[in-house]
Amino acid sequence: MTPDDAISLASEAVARAQRAGAAEAEAALSITRRFHVEARERTISKLEQSTGRSLHLRLFNAGRRVSVTTSDLTVEGIDRVLREALAQAPFVAADPFAALPDACGRCAGDLDLFDAHLATRDDMQKIDDVLAIERLIREADARIVNSSGSHYADAQTLVALANSHGFADAYVSTQASRSSSPVAESGGVKRTAHYGTAASHSRDLDANETVAALAARRTVEMFGARKPPTMRVPVIFERDIAAAVLDDIFAAVNAANVAVGNSFLADRIGDRVGSALVSIVDDGTLAGRLGSAPFDGEGVATRRTPVFERGVLRTFLYDSYYARKLGAATTGNSTGGGIGANNFYLEAGDRGLAEMIAATPRGVLVLDTIGFATEHATGTYSRGARGFMIEQGELTYPIDECTVAGNFCDMLAAVDMVGNDLRFDGSIVSPSFRVAEMTISGN
Amino acid sequence: MLDILTLERLIARALRHGGTYADIFCERRRSYAFRLQDGSIHEGTTALTQGVGVRVVVGESAGYAYSDDLSLDALLRAADAASLIARSAPSGAEHRVELTTMSVPPLYDETRGEHAAAAQYVALLERADRAARAYDARIVAVNAHVADELQDVWIATSDGRYVHDHRPMVTFGVQAVALAHGERASGYVGDGGRTSIAYFDTHAPDELARDAARVATTNVDARPAPAGEMEMVVGAGGGGVLLHEAVGHGLESDFNRRGTSLYSGRVGERVASELVTIYDDGNLPEERGSVAVDDEGIPGQHKVLVEKGVLRGYMQDTLNARLMGTASTGSGRRQSFRFMPQPRMCNTYMPSGESTVEEIIASTKHGLYAKSFAGGQVEISKGDFVFMVAEGYLIENGKVTAPVKNATIVGNGPDAMTKVTAVANDSRLARRHYTCGKGGQHVPVGVGMPTVKISSITVGGTQA
Repeated sequence: MTPDDAISLASEAVARAQRAGAAEAEAALSITRRFHVEARERTISKLEQSTGRSLHLRLFNAGRRVSVTTSDLTVEGIDRVLREALAQAPFVAADPFAALPDACGRCAGDLDLFDAHLATRDDMQKIDDVLAIERLIREADARIVNSSGSHYADAQTLVALANSHGFADAYVSTQASRSSSPVAESGGVKRTAHYGTAASHSRDLDANETVAALAARRTVEMFGARKPPTMRVPVIFERDIAAAVLDDIFAAVNAANVAVGNSFLADRIGDRVGSALVSIVDDGTLAGRLGSAPFDGEGVATRRTPVFERGVLRTFLYDSYYARKLGAATTGNSTGGGIGANNFYLEAGDRGLAEMIAATPRGVLVLDTIGFATEHATGTYSRGARGFMIEQGELTYPIDECTVAGNFCDMLAAVDMVGNDLRFDGSIVSPSFRVAEMTISGN
Repeated sequence: MLDILTLERLIARALRHGGTYADIFCERRRSYAFRLQDGSIHEGTTALTQGVGVRVVVGESAGYAYSDDLSLDALLRAADAASLIARSAPSGAEHRVELTTMSVPPLYDETRGEHAAAAQYVALLERADRAARAYDARIVAVNAHVADELQDVWIATSDGRYVHDHRPMVTFGVQAVALAHGERASGYVGDGGRTSIAYFDTHAPDELARDAARVATTNVDARPAPAGEMEMVVGAGGGGVLLHEAVGHGLESDFNRRGTSLYSGRVGERVASELVTIYDDGNLPEERGSVAVDDEGIPGQHKVLVEKGVLRGYMQDTLNARLMGTASTGSGRRQSFRFMPQPRMCNTYMPSGESTVEEIIASTKHGLYAKSFAGGQVEISKGDFVFMVAEGYLIENGKVTAPVKNATIVGNGPDAMTKVTAVANDSRLARRHYTCGKGGQHVPVGVGMPTVKISSITVGGTQA
């Protein structure tokens, strides 16, 4: 399907929704062609390729909102779900804020989201990639005897959006990723770790050699890990885990959470919450990045939004509904059903990770966390962690079976070093950073 | 959804380059939902997702393709794409399969074609909202949702089986937020299962809402969790998340066939205290994890995973079972037609032991009483896990004392299972709202547990 065909289909769905009785309607059609290959040792263990389609409609009748999702794109199929959904509308409360956005459009400039090379690359080359990674992880260390698989995946996505205010537009994008999960064995103990790279253009992916080397290092470096003492010390979050911390910050500035009081930042606009090193931006207009798009999930042009400036909380992130409800302007963060990140990132600092470690007399480097315990209303953070003990500015021994915990407001205020290693390999990303003091629970 | 001849043709097409096995998974899922926020119905949702997945297995390799376009051309293209995995295999003769319709054991208490009247769902949400607010003046926000879903699956396999299953699922959840002395805390309770909305005629939403409000108000007054090693008493029902994470995942056959689980090759060995017995059951009436047949068309079963501390067996899907020289245990499950099946848990639980809750609490000098968990995660190779406690209390000198909030438990599965020192006689299944994630796929599951004592565990709190 071409972008023009997709726009026609979305526009037709809007017209059918209005004929079926919707006062206002919006239709988003997404079509994704996916390829995925997994290898283990010298075997291709999984080979998947498919094209998936999904049509999502939002219908408004005097503030009564219903939504529809269907993968049946026949006109009869669309009409059937429309009828059913519109019958739900009288049971929904009239909400003066529920409506289409006031202004739609696309951001200026070419976002360079489509890698034509990806679309034409031969499948055999992609398969060769994963076989190479499997070979390289085993060559990297004799203790790597197994793997949970190495992966290559890519996707080409076409998004078309139309609404009854006359907006109709589409864009195409690509994404690709490589990853590996080696299993190492030593002294009867198994260890696994994971490393992955993702980008919208294949030129921005880490090479097979880099993926294999980092995955292998992460796997074997944890041998001999022990439980650290319970203590309050500086904690360095390595880049990938720093990004996971940013996920929680995103949740706290998501206006949908703010509106229901489920955010520790709910009453803090204008406050200096973080240290001067904390500048966090949401930007949907970065060329060639995974979180970029010309318009958001309801057709609002994307933009650059400073969320924290030198520690001061400037704004929450909104779609048009929560913007109206909370008396603000949309920031172009609609996903079509909620609020999502564009490229949401902590601005890079000037320190290398090694330099940050060297500047830490006693502390912990966190390389991985498990669990997802964040009490968003209070900002309490707690995760199972593994990483390294830092003593006299050096990594001394690996640690695991411990937790790292703190309160987000305290953590943001205590960010005292930010790394120079920011990379856009997801839509929520961060450089490594150090928090001056957190609680490690172990022995 | 597709006629038998089309299915037979697709299987033949999928196997035209060779292959050990092929299956076609057809799915239609209709869901109907309402959401309440700020005291009123915020949104209604209708969804229809349908499509067909084609899988070709060659030894330990699998090719997969799906199509949500049900035209014959699109389905044949999917079969061709799936067959590519076998391109290097010797091209066999044309594979002809004759499908035989298999009967499906009756499991769900209700079979129906349509959802109930909208007013019925809306009334449930409004009752929950009122009940949560009436419970305590400190409840400042209530969010609730109800969803009624019907999933039809039709599975056709190259060994000639054709099965249709019609699976209901209702979900009802309430989140209450309490505000006191400038602090907020929330409580979440959910219930439902493979039944109809009529389930809530006898399981009042008011009761669920009051429970969510009780957890929220308990937590808003709770003190921060202590940090360090201590005894732990795991509450009956919801404590079963512990089994799911600490042991269950490690017994899924893909990890064991590949040798990446710490339980690989250990059937017959002692892996836990002799007080520990763990079952996984796909046949429990109404439970979220139950399946009359799994997503490979194999009937759900009762499996003994661990018996008196000894590892008895793994949970198998067809691919891993074939490679391990055994039979599927009806554990092949998938999120939707967009995914290949994986070996998964159904309803995982521990039967009752002989202690009483009173004895267990009285025997605990300094510990954490984890009545329920908000979720957890495990690392398969070494068995390290983490759990978030949803409702927790301190135990001091044999008595349950103050509530604590934001406790995280970390430990190691096999280590924790050897430290089980008492199992109470109160085993029960948790309220039905658990969903398990693995390899990017989410499936509904059930958990259950008696009150259990673990002699030592690390609690991660902020109070060092």
